[in-house]
Amino acid sequence: MTYGLLFDYKWCTGCHSCEIACQQVHHFAPKKVGEQGKRGILPYEIGPYELAEDKYQYEFLPVPTSLCDHCKDRVEKGKLPSCVKHCQTACIEFGEIEELAKKMDSESMALFVVH
Amino acid sequence: MESEENINAEHTTYFGVVEDHSNEVPQDDATGRLSSWEEDGFTVIRANARTAPGCHNNCGVLVYVKDGKVDHIEGDPENPHNQGRLCLRCLALPEMIYHPDRITHPMKRARADRGEDKWERISWDEAWDIIYEEMNKVIDKYGAQSILVTQGTGRDINGYLPLAAYYLGTPNQGMGFLSGEACYAPRFASTSMKIGDFFVCDYSQFFPDRFDDPRWQPPGYILIWGNNPLVANSDGMLGYWVVECMKRGSKLLTVDPKLTWLAGKSEYWFQLRPGTDLALLLGMCNVIVEEELYDAEFCERWTYGFEEFCEHVKQYTPEWAAEVCGVDAEKIKDAARAVAKAPSACMQWGVAVDHATSGYITGMACFDLMALTGNFEKPGSMVSARPCFGVGETWMPGDGLFEKIPQPEWAVGPEKRMNQDYPVLQVGGMKSSDMALKALETGEPYPIKAWWSQTNNAVTNMGAEPQRLIPALKSTDFNVYVDLFMTPTAMAVADIFLPACTYVERAGISGHQPYQIGAIKKAIEPLGESKSDMQIIYELGRRFMGEEGSWWKDPEEFFDYVLRHTPYTYDELKERTWAYPQFEYHKHETGKLRPDKEPGFSSQYGRYNFYCIPMANLGFEAFATYEEPEESPVSTPELAKEYPLILTTGARRWGLFHSEHRQSPSMRQIHKEPLVMIHPETAAEYGIKDGDMVKIENRYGSCIQKAELSTRLRKGVVSADHGWWFPERKDEELFGMMDVNINKLLPMKPGKTGLGNSYKSQLCRVSKA
Repeated sequence: MTYGLLFDYKWCTGCHSCEIACQQVHHFAPKKVGEQGKRGILPYEIGPYELAEDKYQYEFLPVPTSLCDHCKDRVEKGKLPSCVKHCQTACIEFGEIEELAKKMDSESMALFVVH
Repeated sequence: MESEENINAEHTTYFGVVEDHSNEVPQDDATGRLSSWEEDGFTVIRANARTAPGCHNNCGVLVYVKDGKVDHIEGDPENPHNQGRLCLRCLALPEMIYHPDRITHPMKRARADRGEDKWERISWDEAWDIIYEEMNKVIDKYGAQSILVTQGTGRDINGYLPLAAYYLGTPNQGMGFLSGEACYAPRFASTSMKIGDFFVCDYSQFFPDRFDDPRWQPPGYILIWGNNPLVANSDGMLGYWVVECMKRGSKLLTVDPKLTWLAGKSEYWFQLRPGTDLALLLGMCNVIVEEELYDAEFCERWTYGFEEFCEHVKQYTPEWAAEVCGVDAEKIKDAARAVAKAPSACMQWGVAVDHATSGYITGMACFDLMALTGNFEKPGSMVSARPCFGVGETWMPGDGLFEKIPQPEWAVGPEKRMNQDYPVLQVGGMKSSDMALKALETGEPYPIKAWWSQTNNAVTNMGAEPQRLIPALKSTDFNVYVDLFMTPTAMAVADIFLPACTYVERAGISGHQPYQIGAIKKAIEPLGESKSDMQIIYELGRRFMGEEGSWWKDPEEFFDYVLRHTPYTYDELKERTWAYPQFEYHKHETGKLRPDKEPGFSSQYGRYNFYCIPMANLGFEAFATYEEPEESPVSTPELAKEYPLILTTGARRWGLFHSEHRQSPSMRQIHKEPLVMIHPETAAEYGIKDGDMVKIENRYGSCIQKAELSTRLRKGVVSADHGWWFPERKDEELFGMMDVNINKLLPMKPGKTGLGNSYKSQLCRVSKA
């Protein structure tokens, strides 16, 4: 089965919860101040651009990295991947890629295949 | 309109009323809700997050414990407050719990060694002996009023710190050197005189089934006013609720000099000149009055001074407001029409309202706009927010909370409270931080000789003019400091350090919101000899007043006392984890707000006071009346030639709670150092490039931060990070704090009422460092 993460990123606020939740589960967190930890997912900033008067592009898109294992250990126990569970605006969905693709019905959505 | 001298603020508000709720049935059914369980080799404890470290919320959490150690923390999907979601601070909490820098034993240092790392570990008994002896010397020589008891905004001691002051017999207690007490106090004080209660936005948070509750409707408009709730999560409000309302159709109006994510998603975003919010509010009121878009029925039936208010705001045309704020007049008109015509609206105000010298009055105008549009007590509007089950300690501390505890014989009454210059503070029972600093420096009106500081890294974060604060606090006879870590404030001035513990190491009650109460649960033993803030306070009481003033044998018994007016003991609340009290709308119509059970608000005539009699009796304008910031390009044009930019400080950053979390490697990988945001065009005028070190200065002081150029910020404005220090720089004086402390540019000088300050509207200039 091929799994995916579906992002309805018009609601992504760039809060870093997915990024830190992932680091904690996978023990990617830095050990000392000044170090950068590895990331399984990372929110990227889009903009800010003024598209027209009073219309702005200022968004975030979380991108899973090659370290994302869709929280296999959690999923096997019937839990959600940690990023999905803790997302503050509930804008990430996990599932089988074909099923997720059917849910892509509006703009600002992105579907990633994950390992 | 005549002022009526027999009406004053003390007689017009609800606050401090103790009510019995012991027979109240909660909304939520706790059947089947587990308090803890075993899972994959972990003991899982269902609990509520609170503090330490600092936070303004109480999310439901699942604490995973193995071998007596917290392994990780997850959000609790069953807790209606956060519905399983969790922010980065709790997700990485083990970094703070088990940080090698945690102070886990009491320590002392000789007074002569203040500022130097010459601490010596002592026992709790020795710490209490020294505190008892030194505080008594101050009480005997100067009187108990010479002891100052303060807190920061971080931990849940709002309701408990008054008890520490009570035991020491001093009337001087409150925020630690926050100029103008400008964190909710200004808008709280003025609006409570106008409507007699405390009101918050309705995001369905009063209902256990949240957004699905059929009684609730999403706000038509949410006015995000001087607040970035997604990052700030202030005052028990969780920012993501706004996003859930947006998904359900709510529209936004945002007032912020910076493009935030919410501003970018708003129907109307006003990128105004900092400190001019009051003009925008009055301009919107003008449009609604002139075009007769107000809620006529609400204004006629439930307000006082409506017609006079309409006359009053005629001077504040949208064109005038546009000029003052530096925004578009047509947009003000359109926004006012949209808010007035919406089925409901609510005011999501932030501390920026208070951080102007006119903050007290801006708060009045915020509520005037809500009253004009009839947005009180209906779904999706402003709803009254009283303590859950009557537990005032966690939400609305007031007089009369600490029943059965006798007054210590050395106690000094409120008539000596340090607020003689400010009648508004006298009415509100608040001390003045600004006066306290002067008293430390001059001994007038009387000396301050001892400081009890709890969760209050004052010289790094809350206090303006740290360059004055440090020598002033070094001049006292005795200082006690309670915290998790050795902070710059403790290092600079403390004599005794008492170690507090984190929320997973202690019992407690969640709160700082009026929606639900819950149990904070001890998931692990406290590290070393650390104790909860509350236990430290009641042990202070035992030392000074014996068992008569502090009879609880353990924390659970103490919280039984706090819960005495509720249906629950601490153990019962712990078992169900949370409980939602009953909630209903339209309480002003059904007599649920007033002690006499008559319809109306709990103000003197039962009406919303457009004309505020208590204000008039205190010698201030009874209607919201525009004032420029005390320093601005308009009020001080000569000064503005020398300092042409407007400085705003204190914008929140993800993962950092004010001066906290600088030890956390996970938070510091996101925020390496303090940044000063400047618009690229403004920066270019001063030859500043992205990443340059920038000197920010004015006539009070200067500091250096790194430039972050962004078109998000209004041109001509400088937005500087606050609360920074570098715990890892142990060899630098006060952890490098004074080099980067933006508060050196902010004066300890309140607005004319003694409330409000200029933390978000000060003049400055910048140059490449």
